[in-house]
Amino acid sequence: MRMSNRAGLIAALALLILLLFMPQIAPHIGLAVSVCTEVLLYAIAAMAVNLLIGYTGVLPFGNAAFFGLGAYGAGLTIQYFHVGFIASIVLGTIAALVGAVLIGPFLLRRRGIYFALLMIAFGQVFYFIAYRFTDITGGEDGMNFARPAVEGLGLVLKDQQFYYAMLLVFALVMIGFLFLVRSPFGRTLLAIKENETRARYLGLNTDRFIFVALLISAIMEGLAGACYGLSIMFAYPLMLDWHNSGNIVLMTILGGSGTIFGPFIGAIIFVIGQEILSTHWIWWQIPLGALFVACVLGFPKGILGTILDAVERRRGGFAYEARDTVHGTVYSEREIQP
Amino acid sequence: MSDVIFAAENIVKHFGGVRAVEDVSLSIEAGSIQAIIGPNGAGKSTLFNALSGFYPCDSGRVTFKGVDITTAPIHRRIAMGIGRTFQTSSVFPNLSVYDNLLIGLQSAASLAFRFRPINRAQRKTIEEKAERLLDFVNLRSSARRPVAELAHGSQRLCEIAMSLSTDPVLVMLDEPMAGLAHAETERVLEVIRKLHGELGLTVLFVEHNMRVVLSLAQRIMVLDRGKTLAEGTPAEISANEAVRDAYIGKEVVEHV
Repeated sequence: MRMSNRAGLIAALALLILLLFMPQIAPHIGLAVSVCTEVLLYAIAAMAVNLLIGYTGVLPFGNAAFFGLGAYGAGLTIQYFHVGFIASIVLGTIAALVGAVLIGPFLLRRRGIYFALLMIAFGQVFYFIAYRFTDITGGEDGMNFARPAVEGLGLVLKDQQFYYAMLLVFALVMIGFLFLVRSPFGRTLLAIKENETRARYLGLNTDRFIFVALLISAIMEGLAGACYGLSIMFAYPLMLDWHNSGNIVLMTILGGSGTIFGPFIGAIIFVIGQEILSTHWIWWQIPLGALFVACVLGFPKGILGTILDAVERRRGGFAYEARDTVHGTVYSEREIQP
Repeated sequence: MSDVIFAAENIVKHFGGVRAVEDVSLSIEAGSIQAIIGPNGAGKSTLFNALSGFYPCDSGRVTFKGVDITTAPIHRRIAMGIGRTFQTSSVFPNLSVYDNLLIGLQSAASLAFRFRPINRAQRKTIEEKAERLLDFVNLRSSARRPVAELAHGSQRLCEIAMSLSTDPVLVMLDEPMAGLAHAETERVLEVIRKLHGELGLTVLFVEHNMRVVLSLAQRIMVLDRGKTLAEGTPAEISANEAVRDAYIGKEVVEHV
């Protein structure tokens, strides 16, 4: 096994152990278990954004629409159809997927900043729907709903149990993501990010790849949103809003887009930073904003990207994109003799 | 006379009021090597982009192997057997040379849209093809390096190898020598000769360097202000008065 793979595996195992004991550790460092759950769920959302920003090269600035659709999908089906815990998550995720299927064909007609703006616009449409249809969604006040029992167990998951359920979801998404970006499909996405014109001239129907990447991203983010809705037992219009999209993009870029664990680091800093700072200081967003500006100006590869770069430079390797792709590519195991 | 593999009839492309390409036709015989030349702003690149599907044509018809491809999307053209390069090398700069080739080979083998890893046999086939391409353009020693780190000439060769990764029968090269040093020109020239001679591919290229054009092309088409000025063998073009006046210039012809 290659060095970078081994280091990644050790880091992942250490992280898993830390996360397994988080409910026991959290009270000692002044954190509620629910905040730890929130970190995991926002990390999934940020990974969804990372799939598009870091691995496909499109800017999903309206991504919170999928997050909110997930939460409302879960909330509404619980409220009106009395579905169970797992069913509500699945239905919330499907709601986000349907949203992506609807707006995807329009988004694909544009690239770059126009894609981003169009996606914000579509996201706001969902926001206003949730805001206006007061009879069904509760409008501006949002909607409360009870967390239903898990099918077959007849058990309503509480704090720690809920955390472990979400940790399981997080771990599965993480493993799935790793396989996805290392699959031929994932490698092709990276090529599209690097140079879409060239990808087209290699016979790739890039629209189709970007569309499917968008759907996968929406599924991940809808899943995160549905779980988040169940976590706080509440869905409200601001979940769909472009501010929330911006926060999730911020986590992704802060942690390091184009890296596997970067978005998770970004989610930790953002959610916990918000939790701690906002209780002491109403201007808590200012230092966070300053950190973001510093990151974009000084470390455009984000926290993890910058660290990985430095490690690679000391080992005399490539820039980290190249390291990620060259060493990660499924074929490149065999050495080429000059 | 062999078969016409690629033909364009009455191609028109305007940008607002600029008539970049005005009623241009051309046909290429299978296995031949043909050049498009012309002064700056003659519409060479526009024609090239219209023929390769980069821009839609305003009117006219493009056929390849007898099939109308005027409005065919780019990926369909590639699947039919066309490859192209760009004036400024269009590669995946942060990927290694090897990975640049793999993306194309994966696409050609219909393995790109796949979520599972590819199996051992498929991998072996692809690796062998990649190594053959590396040898063809003589980039084996740079295989592991990101393309962005290579010299211009090597980037161009990598791009040519990429365009071969999809098994084309027609290769379109847009100013293959643009921005290259003299020694690099020789390397690229050698590879283009092999494209035609060793692989038997049909080649259409746009080029400014007259030495290259006259030493490579079997037929030359001269564009001026969006229209065809002349068409013929290198000898005919060199002797053509109108071409001399419009473009080539006395000293170049004498030099040759």
